[in-house]
Amino acid sequence: MHQLTTSNKILVYLLLAIVLIVFMTPIYIIVSSSIKPTPIMFQKPPAMLFEPTWDHYINLFTARPFGKFILNSLIVALGSTAFSLFFGSLAAYAISRIRHKRMNDVAFWILSMRMFPPIAVVVPYYIIFKASGLLDTPLALIIIYSTANIPLTVWLMKGFFDEVPRALEEAASIDGYNLLQIFWYVTLPLAAPGLAVSAVFCFIFSWNEFIFALMLTGSNAQTATVAVMSFWSSDAVQWGRIMAGSFIILIPGVIFVLTCQRWLVRGLTMGSVK
Amino acid sequence: MAYIRKRNRNIFLVFMMPAVLVLFGTTIYPMIYAGYLSFRSYDLAKLFVPRVFVGWANYQEIIASSEFLHTLTVTFKLMAMTLSVQLVLGVGIALLVTQRLPGMGIARTLLLIPMMISPVIVGLVWLFLYFPELGYLNYFLSFLGLGPYAWITSTDWALWAIAIADIWQWTPFIMMGTAAALTNLSPEPFEAAKLDGNSAWDVFWRVTLPQIRPVLISLMFLRAIDAFKIYDIIFVLTKGGPGDTTEVLSMYIYRQSFTFWRMGVGAAASFVSLIIIVVLITLFFKSLNREAHQA
Repeated sequence: MHQLTTSNKILVYLLLAIVLIVFMTPIYIIVSSSIKPTPIMFQKPPAMLFEPTWDHYINLFTARPFGKFILNSLIVALGSTAFSLFFGSLAAYAISRIRHKRMNDVAFWILSMRMFPPIAVVVPYYIIFKASGLLDTPLALIIIYSTANIPLTVWLMKGFFDEVPRALEEAASIDGYNLLQIFWYVTLPLAAPGLAVSAVFCFIFSWNEFIFALMLTGSNAQTATVAVMSFWSSDAVQWGRIMAGSFIILIPGVIFVLTCQRWLVRGLTMGSVK
Repeated sequence: MAYIRKRNRNIFLVFMMPAVLVLFGTTIYPMIYAGYLSFRSYDLAKLFVPRVFVGWANYQEIIASSEFLHTLTVTFKLMAMTLSVQLVLGVGIALLVTQRLPGMGIARTLLLIPMMISPVIVGLVWLFLYFPELGYLNYFLSFLGLGPYAWITSTDWALWAIAIADIWQWTPFIMMGTAAALTNLSPEPFEAAKLDGNSAWDVFWRVTLPQIRPVLISLMFLRAIDAFKIYDIIFVLTKGGPGDTTEVLSMYIYRQSFTFWRMGVGAAASFVSLIIIVVLITLFFKSLNREAHQA
């Protein structure tokens, strides 16, 4: 946009360095504390060079069945992702193609479903799931997370479907394809990047979720986020295990940021930024 | 659009139905159920059987109670604290990372990481930093001649402790949205403004800011909607305490429903929160539409 003088360049880098140090410190703390021996966990100044220990990770998986909790998280996240992609992309295709002035309202209504406070509906869910025997099962969480993930998928996929050239669909129509065939063989493959992006967003949201998992699961369907929190008790906080569990939980999100950050704007700003 | 005939429109509606039905069943139905519960009173012995119809009693109770009013005040205070800092910091950092200098791409990517971390983990790592006596934050601040502060145990700092954790996680969101908007701007007005001899500060206020304002407004509404729902970080850091210093609306609903088992009162408070969120969502969509018309 404009040329900076050398002193201004130095200023920019200096400010940015401060910002980066402040914002990266908590992440560094999670990583370093997960391999720090307990006696030096709070040592000041913080120990930078130390003999790393894997005890926290070992304890994490032996003291409690953390592997099972991760598996629960995976089942719930993958289940909800599959469910949301199927229903979400079908609906998005319809919303993208139907020309009607109320269609925008339908899209907004669906999107607004994502924004309601979970806490406001957790009591009804609790009662409904208790009555139907779904309390403390992965299926309960899959259903609930889909209420947030379907709107997101619809919103994202609508954008991708809008960009698929109509001429291709018309050509397929002339060749005798019906609507479902057009969708499956022509449009969906062209919107494949959208499916991938939606899948990752659905997965991360479900993987990270805490409130519903806390209130609607017990020992059977407990997810990793709830399990990590359970290592916190006021008499003996097991920071090593908390940090080891935290590190495992933050891996998918970090991989996502590092590999497809250009989609983050689209997925998180809900159309505020084109 | 030859192939989208009347018959096909019906097929499209069939495509749309499953998602609409699922959303209706999982969102609208529980809301209606919450509305039903809010007019009932509960027998502690038979928790999950709605008992007596009590009319507006639950609503009258929460509106009359100073505790409910207090939680609303705390919720909006926290919202004002986090949103204002996130706006200033986020735009500031966006102006830094959109400079055409080497290394900016990496900085931008790294700064996005906090957003993708589970709020529980955010809460836990800040709890580690704030931890009484042991935490590192007071140690770091001592080099700047500040503190020590009793972050999560004092009524003065507990709300800021929560705000800081939220600011850390979501400033990158404003940064990301603003940076994207800045990159989309056309360069001509800037050239003209600079030729007129305006300082960088003037160019920002008179040229840049008016252009990105619609985007900023939409981003702030999204943040407001999220800030209104804040729960996880508070659950980890203070559980609403000390006393009721950090008891936001979500925490109040949780405590009424699951600590005191007064589900009717909790449902009534839920309904009030739904009304407020509907207002916020409507304002957000209005701002999106305005943005679309300006573009």
